[in-house]
Amino acid sequence: MTRLVRAEWTKLFTTRVWIGMLAAGVLLTAGFAVLMTAFAGNADSGIAPVGTAEFEQTALAQASGATILTLILGIIGATQEYRHRTATPTFLTTPRRGSVIVAKLIAYALAAVPFAVVVVAVNYLVVAVYAGARGAAPSLTGDNLEVMTTSGLALVIYAVIGVGLGALMRNQVGAIVAALVYLFVVEGVIRSIPATSGAYKWLPGGGLEAMTATFDGPDLLGAWQGGLLLIGYGLLAALLGTLLAVRRDIV
Amino acid sequence: MRGLTKSFGAVRAVTDLGFTVEPGSVTGFLGPNGAGKTTTLRMVLGLITPDSGTATFDGVPYAALPDPIRTVGAVLETAFHPARSGRNHLRVYCRAAGLPVERADEVLLQVGLADAGGRRAGSYSLGMRQRLALATALLGDPGVLVLDEPANGLDPEGIQWLRGFLRHLAHDQGRTVLVSSHLLSEVEQTVDRVVIVGAGRLVREGSMADLRAGADGAGTVLVRSPEVARLAELLRADGVPLTLDGAALTVTGRTTDEIGARAFAAGVELHELRSHTSGLEEIYFQLTAGQGQFAAPSPGTTDPEGASR
Repeated sequence: MTRLVRAEWTKLFTTRVWIGMLAAGVLLTAGFAVLMTAFAGNADSGIAPVGTAEFEQTALAQASGATILTLILGIIGATQEYRHRTATPTFLTTPRRGSVIVAKLIAYALAAVPFAVVVVAVNYLVVAVYAGARGAAPSLTGDNLEVMTTSGLALVIYAVIGVGLGALMRNQVGAIVAALVYLFVVEGVIRSIPATSGAYKWLPGGGLEAMTATFDGPDLLGAWQGGLLLIGYGLLAALLGTLLAVRRDIV
Repeated sequence: MRGLTKSFGAVRAVTDLGFTVEPGSVTGFLGPNGAGKTTTLRMVLGLITPDSGTATFDGVPYAALPDPIRTVGAVLETAFHPARSGRNHLRVYCRAAGLPVERADEVLLQVGLADAGGRRAGSYSLGMRQRLALATALLGDPGVLVLDEPANGLDPEGIQWLRGFLRHLAHDQGRTVLVSSHLLSEVEQTVDRVVIVGAGRLVREGSMADLRAGADGAGTVLVRSPEVARLAELLRADGVPLTLDGAALTVTGRTTDEIGARAFAAGVELHELRSHTSGLEEIYFQLTAGQGQFAAPSPGTTDPEGASR
């Protein structure tokens, strides 16, 4: 298994996809952190003023927005085998296809850890410098630290979900589009319609929101329950993807 | 390989196909496009699950081999991530198979890509891609090589190189090679044995020498002579089928040796004497005629049965 995980890392780090995803993750997080801080205390924005616990936790949770990028990284990691037809040499080298999918899950979960550390660190630095200039830099203690940890974990779990989804769908563009439409459209609709909003907390977006603990949200699970729910979705997609990968023909 | 059968939806791709590949020889796996060659090879390598039948290497199915790429190397298609360099592509599979990454450079050298190893595989020419696919198959130094249409997209020089390389791998290094092609002429000079399939069924299996023996005289011979009419008269008297067209004579069913001997005996001056179509091609065509997946009636034929005789 160690061999296969190393082979997946070689695949990941010998193309430049990861650099793009990391750069986009850093920019996205830094951008939202700047916006949050700039409009903190502004009556129209509804963001709490700099120095309050509510502002600090919201601003430090911006790293979780980069989950979309670890998700796409995972999807690309799993679907590139089919897109570029390397599934053939990959499964010739390792005919036990389940091992390949498991290796991908482990490889991407571990590779997402330094990714998450960088994004969370950039988030903190931006908020610390900018909010510091506006009066009060957040401390690295208690709830602030918890929000940063759960945001980082969410980044890792979404990479796992991405690999599972990619293994399931195989079509790279289809899987990415489906994931984006689901996260930004379908869940938004479910969340806002009263008849279905009760189900939202059981969905991946609800799990993410529960984990990163924003204030005044809809009815949500606890942070750790949300995390477990997300891991559950990731493993379910991976399990289905593995079962199908083992049975489907590589034509 | 025994009793392999596979359908895709309503299309029967391969039906009850079985043959054996002898160790240490080059076996040509021939058939027209759509005859089920690729499907068969993918079933042999565990990528496609057959509906029924088994394929084994020394009694072991591919997926159960303890060290598959050290046992069997396969070139099925030229599949690379275009942004990854050839060397890194090979290193991925070194890692996955637990081989030292230096193997990547060794096989690049073997297939003549040593200088291109650092370039993105997407920038490779078709011939270089085929070489990289071959390099991938050689990574584990396997005793058996399975190649699906490896000459596709190669220029004449590349085909020449491939022929020599396959002969070297089989005859000098003692590897077993199974190479598929839809053109007999492409592998004619390389293979020791042939397996011919048409419409997913075995048509012919045997040594190249047997096929040649059966093909002797099956082709047509072209003769040019100032005394072409006299030669035609002589050959007609022997009951040889021929057509006369100006100063050229086309003879069917005789070798150049036989025609030459007959002309010499009669004192007929010859200006040209050559095989027009090889007997092998003729035989191969007869064996597989109308058995391609997309068999179409020959031009000018209105009879729909014409193509499937």
